[in-house]
Amino acid sequence: MQKTPVVSVSGLHKTYGRKNEQQYEALKGIDFTIDEGEFVGIMGASGSGKTTLLNLLSTLDTPTSGSVEVNGQDITGFKGKALSDFRSEEIGFIFQDFNLLESLTAKENIALPLSLQGVKKAEISKAVKEVATTLSIENLLSKYPTELSGGQKQRVAAARAIVHRPAIIMGDEPTGALDSKSARDLLDLMTDINKNQHVSVLLVTHDPFSASFCDRILFIQDGQIGQELKKADNNRQTFYQEILNQLGTFEQ
Amino acid sequence: MLTKLSLAGIKNRFKDYLVLLTGLIISAAVFYMFANLATNREFVKSNTQISMASQVFIFGMILLILITIVYIAYANSFLLSMRQHDYGLFMMLGAKKNRIGELVFIETLLIGVISTIVGIVLGIGMSMGLSQILFNQLGLTVHHFNALYWPAIVTTICLYVGLFLLSGIFNLTKLVRTPVLKLLHIDDEVYLPKRRPLVQLTEIVAGILLLAIGYVAMAKIMTLQLLAVPLALVTITLGSYLLFSAVIVGAVELLKQTNFANKKLHNFTLAQIMFRVRSYTRILTIVSLLFALALGAISVGAGFQRQAPQMAKSTSAYTMAINDMDKKEHNLVSQLNDTHTLTYSQKIVGNTVYYNEQEFVDHPLPMLDSRQALNDGSLKTLPIAQFKKVALNDMDFTGLVPKNGQQKSEFATQSDFENLNTATTHTVTIIRLNNVLAQRKILDRLEKLQQQRFPAPTMATVGGFQTYKMFNALFSGLEFMGFFLGFAFLAMLASCLMFKILSGANKDVVRYNMLNRIGTRRVLMKQAVRGEILTLFALPGILGIVDVLFGLQVFKPLMYHPNAMTGWSILIFCVLYGVYYGITTLIYERLVIPKEQMNA
Repeated sequence: MQKTPVVSVSGLHKTYGRKNEQQYEALKGIDFTIDEGEFVGIMGASGSGKTTLLNLLSTLDTPTSGSVEVNGQDITGFKGKALSDFRSEEIGFIFQDFNLLESLTAKENIALPLSLQGVKKAEISKAVKEVATTLSIENLLSKYPTELSGGQKQRVAAARAIVHRPAIIMGDEPTGALDSKSARDLLDLMTDINKNQHVSVLLVTHDPFSASFCDRILFIQDGQIGQELKKADNNRQTFYQEILNQLGTFEQ
Repeated sequence: MLTKLSLAGIKNRFKDYLVLLTGLIISAAVFYMFANLATNREFVKSNTQISMASQVFIFGMILLILITIVYIAYANSFLLSMRQHDYGLFMMLGAKKNRIGELVFIETLLIGVISTIVGIVLGIGMSMGLSQILFNQLGLTVHHFNALYWPAIVTTICLYVGLFLLSGIFNLTKLVRTPVLKLLHIDDEVYLPKRRPLVQLTEIVAGILLLAIGYVAMAKIMTLQLLAVPLALVTITLGSYLLFSAVIVGAVELLKQTNFANKKLHNFTLAQIMFRVRSYTRILTIVSLLFALALGAISVGAGFQRQAPQMAKSTSAYTMAINDMDKKEHNLVSQLNDTHTLTYSQKIVGNTVYYNEQEFVDHPLPMLDSRQALNDGSLKTLPIAQFKKVALNDMDFTGLVPKNGQQKSEFATQSDFENLNTATTHTVTIIRLNNVLAQRKILDRLEKLQQQRFPAPTMATVGGFQTYKMFNALFSGLEFMGFFLGFAFLAMLASCLMFKILSGANKDVVRYNMLNRIGTRRVLMKQAVRGEILTLFALPGILGIVDVLFGLQVFKPLMYHPNAMTGWSILIFCVLYGVYYGITTLIYERLVIPKEQMNA
């Protein structure tokens, strides 16, 4: 079965530092694709280049060479309006530190991407309600972020990430600031969104437990993709062990 | 080493320091300009015949000192907000607290001293420039004014350096006492606006009532006398405060219900305003009051000055009387526009000046309708019999005699007048014109020529022009002070508001960064910044203008149209205020709006 790729990355290089200064190559040629509806994890130690990669995929940074296509469009050449519009329409972000606006209620936070796209009030209300029901946060909608727990905040952030039906959700250590119970809930929720709403997910993490929820994991080491692990028909526990083993071989 | 590090920190944020320094320099310059007037007793004495003037200046000085204190406090909090993270980091790396304290103290004081010195130099320059403009453009005459005035320099240095010493001590204790971790993570104190409709409603009602009491008090100044001013000050201050806190929250909540809120970043902007209401209410109240005071000072000053021509009209039925007009004078008179001229013959016998009655029948000499204060200068013509009676006691008529010492005026019938045996027949020509101000240069020359030919010990000429010149001299001082006061207040209040807003910027950096990440167009972010700051600027401005429109009623007993110049001063004011708004927005955008891409 040939699926169309949502993300396709080829020959991606990123070098920091100017030509006449000392240079540092963070990414040394990365190639991979993410198919529609896939749940892909990117793992790697600190300094391996995973944050750089995520920044390039989400257009927050520009590559030195290589191309990134999202939904069939080459995003590396985007500038100005096209750039922001791409981010607000095609990508849903979930960050480690939630990145909710503390001056807006949960509902207003969730509605933000739709407001940016100029969606009508009635439609916004409908979409927010729908997504809130899916994530069981209807009773939190009128609260401000400071009145919410970490897990609740991340649910609201997840709602904001999917409310505008992006092509892909990108999570940057989304469980990093959560306790284990909330982390598991969030990962279940992301799996649920992935399976039932058919939204592709890209999860960047260094935590094997989070990674075990993915369908496929790309291990990135020193700016290159070293290994690829597929869950296939394994259950999550077995996959978790496999990941740990894989990480173990990296250490040596 | 630490000194080097801290200098490097300043270098990195040079632009922010530039903002801080520029603001402080302008503040010091404005203060110097004001102190220059206020501490110059001879100037105040010679330019106002009003005994109240020096009190007005002392009052203004106290106000300006208060504003300066508030202003420096805000500027200092801006400085501290820039530096605390750096210093926290140094401490975490093991720098001694005392050493850090020392550095902060020196940095604060250094900034203070530099800005004070540059500010005074700028102030001297501005004093020269502004006074030149006022003297030349508006035809003001002001005595004993020096751009460079030592007592003012000393006063400014004392106040500013003193305040910066205090700020330095404050910063030192604050940094030394705050735990390092807190310095590194200065979190936003989150304020959740509570929705209490009943309290809000009470606040609105009480606010409006208090404002109304204040406005009425000012309008009834004749009956309330001096009590009106303090009463109005207290009620208007309280009223503005209540109204600001209630109306902003209420209006934002109402707007949030509408479709408007869901468009673009509107909801974000509204939330920003809502979240800042509490910390802004006080400064908005102060700003609105200062705005009113500044605008009022300019309007009153300009209003008095503008009323000099009107005063001239109300004191005499004609602008100038010219005895025995010669060729030169005739030429000048023919250059005047929009004039009425009347010429009467005079014959002089001994100490008496005779007039031909018939000439007054053919061309009656108009007289003032009323000689009361603040009359509108309208004229009347009387039947000859009545005119003859009234005229001999009327200054306008008796003043027509040539200034050679003759005292008495008499009317003669035409035949009697013709039979009077004198060598020459004199004439007197009366000029009446509507626009004295525009043609004052020609009138000045005419007056000089008359003075040369008829040197008089007391009065050079009679008529409205004489009065105009007298009042012009008197009101020039007032207008000059009004402008100075007004601009000093405006510059200070706008700078205050600017720094209050700017010192909140570092909290906004995170928010805008997040908006950028989820794909908000830069245009929208800029609009959000502009909208938010516009609200903070516009609200006190609007209330300030309303305050002024009512406040000027205080001057009704003294002035024809207290509001005559308000339109103009509002316009000038809004332009200057707008410039401040523009600068604040530009700086704010630069501070908070991130680049779309990291290395773009």
